[in-house]
This record gives sequence, structure tokens and C-alpha cells, in this order.
Amino acid sequence: MTMTAMTMKMMRQTNSIAAWGLLGFFAVSLLTFSVDAGAHGERAQLASMRMRTLHWFDISVSPTRAKVGDTIVMTGKFIPSELWPEQLPSITDTVFLNIGTPGPKFIRVYSEVNGVPMIRSTAFEQSKVYEFKIVVRARIPGRYHIHPLLNVKDAGTLVGKGTWVEIEPSATAAAFTNEVTTLTGDTVDLESVGLKAVVGWHLVWIAMGVAFLVYWLTKPELFIPRYMRVRNLGPEQANAVITKRDFLVGGFFFTATMVLILGGYLWAEHRYPVTIPLQTGKVKVEGAPIPKGPLSVAVENANYELAGRSLTMRMNLTNHGDQPLSIKEFITANIRFLNGPVSGARVMEGEELVAGDSLHPSVSVIAPGQSIDVVLRAEDSLWETQRMTGLIYDPDSRFAGLLFYEDARGGRYYQEVGGPILPKFF
Amino acid sequence: MANIALPASKITDPAGYYDLSVLDNPSARRYYRRFDGILIVVLFSFLALGISIHYALTAGDWDYWIDWRDRRWWPLITPMSLMMFIAAFVYPIWKAFRLPIIATAVTTLLCLVSWVSRYFNFGQFTDFPMTFTFPSTYIGLGILLDCTLLLTRSLTASAFAGPFLFGALIWPINWPLFAAYKVPVEYSGTLVSLSDLMGYQYIRTTTPEYLRIIEESTLRTFGGSVTPLTAVFSAFVAVVTYSLFLLLGTAIYNLAGRYVRRIV
Ligand SMILES: [Cu+2]
Repeated sequence: MTMTAMTMKMMRQTNSIAAWGLLGFFAVSLLTFSVDAGAHGERAQLASMRMRTLHWFDISVSPTRAKVGDTIVMTGKFIPSELWPEQLPSITDTVFLNIGTPGPKFIRVYSEVNGVPMIRSTAFEQSKVYEFKIVVRARIPGRYHIHPLLNVKDAGTLVGKGTWVEIEPSATAAAFTNEVTTLTGDTVDLESVGLKAVVGWHLVWIAMGVAFLVYWLTKPELFIPRYMRVRNLGPEQANAVITKRDFLVGGFFFTATMVLILGGYLWAEHRYPVTIPLQTGKVKVEGAPIPKGPLSVAVENANYELAGRSLTMRMNLTNHGDQPLSIKEFITANIRFLNGPVSGARVMEGEELVAGDSLHPSVSVIAPGQSIDVVLRAEDSLWETQRMTGLIYDPDSRFAGLLFYEDARGGRYYQEVGGPILPKFF
Repeated sequence: MANIALPASKITDPAGYYDLSVLDNPSARRYYRRFDGILIVVLFSFLALGISIHYALTAGDWDYWIDWRDRRWWPLITPMSLMMFIAAFVYPIWKAFRLPIIATAVTTLLCLVSWVSRYFNFGQFTDFPMTFTFPSTYIGLGILLDCTLLLTRSLTASAFAGPFLFGALIWPINWPLFAAYKVPVEYSGTLVSLSDLMGYQYIRTTTPEYLRIIEESTLRTFGGSVTPLTAVFSAFVAVVTYSLFLLLGTAIYNLAGRYVRRIV
């Protein structure tokens, strides 16, 4: 039975004021509710923000089915956009690599970017490639949509592509434990460490507080009679309502409290002789340069067609290499627009937001040495369902994305493309 | 309240047996007891509601997570937040009833509400372990504050001694709760405390590591004596905050009193 139901039942039975008080008490406690859970706002962000902040790609989550206590690894890459919006605080200041989950359904046991552990905050450069890895251990059974994400200081949460994972109870159904060995040589379970002392001391203090209040509130004369006495005595004499016994009780509580505080402090110092202050600081990580492919791209302009749900980009492409290059894919706002069917592309298990046969270049293969104007159309209903159509209402109408192409030997290259965008309303 | 209706023949009762303004009148006493009971429930519900909203708004995250409660800012923010609320109620309750109970009542109620909130909202609903989100304790500090008022019987004297003890002892009283979480551990080649590690492991999507304010101040230059220096500083801050809000409580009480007198 829930607490509210219990209270309601109590109220029906006794119709007492106390039950109403209790109900109010629970209502109050709900107000301090944490909003950490739930929404990761993947579609709520401005379309331009999703297109021009981070280009996430090659995101993989494995396995997507696991038991409590099992390890799940998420890997992928991202490139902070060259066209990072001016209105948004920069990624070059302070960033934290995080995961979007509805609460701690997992514990994060390890995370790194370009090989550097990401236990702390860091900063990234624009137009560099960062390869990340996040290792989590399943803690609570359920089905969750998990995302890699970056918290960018003052800019908020920038979410990468989500993947559904299914966590089943562990075979032994044993409680989840999270053991760690401290530098003092003790092995503790973070799910329960120190909690006995916390509860014990809270009970001691609650008993002290309640005892002190009970002493006063059970006086035969409390509010009105006391008020009348105070008024009759006048401001000079009013302190006479405090009796000698009150004074002694006050002295006792004062002394007992001081003794308890001192005793508790000495107990803790004795029990935990080695402690350190909270640790913080930033780590440095080098970004890798975007691998330079043999294609140079000059974007002329782009149109967004509201009715056709398509982005049409006009660009000049020059192949400086000795092999033909074929345009494979365009990624923006976590959506993959493929030139060809899904079956022909590298698609991860459980991957979402992949639109097959949605990228239509006027010329698919650029011959060696060729320089040519290409019209590239990315068309799919995902523009609509991912609420990308709002991009025409942005204060700074520009787009950005990653263009992927391959040479005949299977070499895969990508680079950022972007530029001004003009909406077409009809 | 039927039992306090006065029979016509007794209205001129010379002993004042039925006169409600006479304190040794048994029927009046019964009536007052009942009224006291209602008033306790009303006052305590109001204080519980008020302090939980006030505390969530002013201290908030600082007290939700063990990896936010540093030696430098947490002992400053929390007494400031609590002093504001407590001081505003101390004056009226002392002036009208000479009851030194507000600080104890507020800290005890906050403790109970916090446990309910942490257990249900953070524990049952959001799955955080209680080791990471347990509330701090302030009840002993509330008792000290009330007792200084009781023992000095002076609002002025207690406005120095009470909040001073409140601010100075906020770290020591919580140390037996916190110490276990400040034990060092090596993780991914980095030195962290168990609190920091929990902050890293138990994922908070919208509360990144950098939002914490850890020991940011010039007091760091005083070397290892951060704790005692913070104690003195937070005691001072508590005294100032308490005094300001005591004055505010006084002003409101006097203003309200003038209105009540005009109406009655
Ligand atoms: Cu999601």
C-alpha cells in the first residue's frame, strides 16, 4: 500500500487533523523531487543546434540485451562543428562526457575520449575527431533508451543517437553490489557503505529533537494560556514564564548536544583516520585531425523544402585523387541519409534514424581529377518526425553535416559540409 | 466546542469559573488544550512546507548529493539557508509565547521531510542508492540555537551565540555521517574520494561533474586549515544572516500586530 493510500485510510477511520497533517507532509516531500529522471529531450532541441553542434557517428552499443551485473560497452565518434552557433557557449570551455539514461539504471565504470579517462570534465576543439568509449554495468532491470551525450557548460545537454537496451534480472537474483577497494585497503560496497552510521546518527538526532520538542509541547499551558501570561506579565517580566525546570532542561540538552557532537567527531576521526577533500579538476585531451580525403568541397547554397521534407545542397566537388570517389552518406542531427539501401551500409545492431535510399546526388561518382557542380538532395520523412522542420525559424539559418564518401579500394572518408540555408515554402 | 457554551445563570459567576480569560478555569483549560493541539499541527505543517520549499530553492543540489558537500561551500550555503528561515520565526514565537522551539522544530521537520523525499523520490522512484543521497543532519544545531535563547533569555545575546555555534559546528556534527565517503580511492589512474566516485558511477544525466563547486576560494591558500577557517567564516555568516532575518521577523510581527489590533 502506498503512503498516500495509507493516509487516506487513516483519515477515513479517524477523521483526524493529524492525518491531514501527514498528507500535507508527503505532499511537501514530493516538492523536492528530482527532475533528473526521464526526458532526454532528443527532439526538443532547436534543429539548428542539433545540426551545428556535434556530429555523432559510428555509435555502437553492445550487447543490447544483458542481465543485471553485466557490462555494456558504448563506442562512437563525434566532431564538434566548425559552424558551432555563435549564440551558444563554446565547447572549448568545459564539457563532460555523459550518458542519457532515466536515472542510474546503470553504473558507469569507465569512460574515455581518445584514450584519456573521462572521470572529470574536459574541453574539446572544433573540427577535430574524438573517439569515445563508455563502459556501464547494468544495475536495474528494464528497457532503456541510452544515449551518449555531452554536457557543455552553460549550453546544456547535447545528445547523441539513442539505442534501446534490455536489462533482465540476474540469474541468481542477488542484490546488485558495487565493490571497490580503497587506498586504505578496505573493500566496500558503494550501495551500502557508511549507511549504518548515517541512519544511526540520524536516529540519535531525531530522538534528541523530538525529546526537546515533546518537553515543550506537552506543557499543560502552551499557546493561548502562555500568551495570556506573557501579556499579563508585560515585556519586562515576561521571562518569568520560563521555569527553573525549563532552564535545567535547556542546560541538559545543550550539554548533551555538545558532548554528542564532540563524541561523534572524535569517533569519525578515529574510525576514518585517512580522508581527502572532494576532488575535481579538468583533464586535457588532444583531438585527432579529420582524416584528409582526396575530395575538396565548396558549398554554394542550400534550400530546405517544407513540403518535400528535403534539404537540397548545391556544391562544387573536386577529386584530387587517382581513384573514382562515390558519395555514400550524409549525416546531420544524428540522422543518416544513405545513398543506397540500408543493407549496403555499415549499420549497427539496433541502430535508429537510418534512412535508406534517401540521399540523391545528381552525380554519384566523381572521376579522378574531375571538378563538378553537384546537387545533393537529402529527403526523408525523418525531417518531420525528428522535428527538423523548425530549422527555418532559427535566428541564424545555416546547416551543417558530415558527408561520407568512399574510394574504389573501400577507403572511407568524411568531412564537414555546411553553409547558409534558404527555406522554400511552396 | 459545545462544552464551553455558558449557561445564562453562570455568566455573572463571581469566581470567574467560566471566564475563559481566567487560567485556572477547567473548562477554559480543556478548550485551550484542544486549540493548542490544532495550533501545533497547523504551525508544524506550515513550518515543514515552508522549510522544504525554502531549502530546496536555496540549498538544493548542495544537499542532495554526497559529492557536492565539500568543506568549503556546503558549510556556508546550508547555515545561511537555514538561518534565513529559522530567524524569521524565532521572534514571533518567542515574543508571544516565550517558546524556544523554532530552530529544533524546523531542523527536525526538515530532517523528516528530507528522509521521505530522498527515500521515495531519489531512492524508490529514481533508483539512486541512499549512500549517495542521504540528508545531512542539523537537529543538534537547532537544539543548540534554541538552548542559547532559553539559557540567555535574550534575543540579542542568543543572536550572537546561537548562529555562531550553528555555523561553526555544522561540519563536525555531520562528520560522522560524511567521513566514510571521503576515504581515498584510485580510479582510472586518478585520485578520488568515494563521494567523487559515486558521483561518476551513479549517472546523473543533467547534473554534470563541472556543476559542482569544490573548494573554490582564496582560502585554499591557507593550506591544510580549510576546515577550521571555514567554521569561523560560516559562523560569522550565520550570525549576520540570522540577525538580518530576526529583524525582518520583528518587523513583520510588529506590522501584523498593528493590523490585528486595528481590526480587533
Ligand atoms: Cu532516447
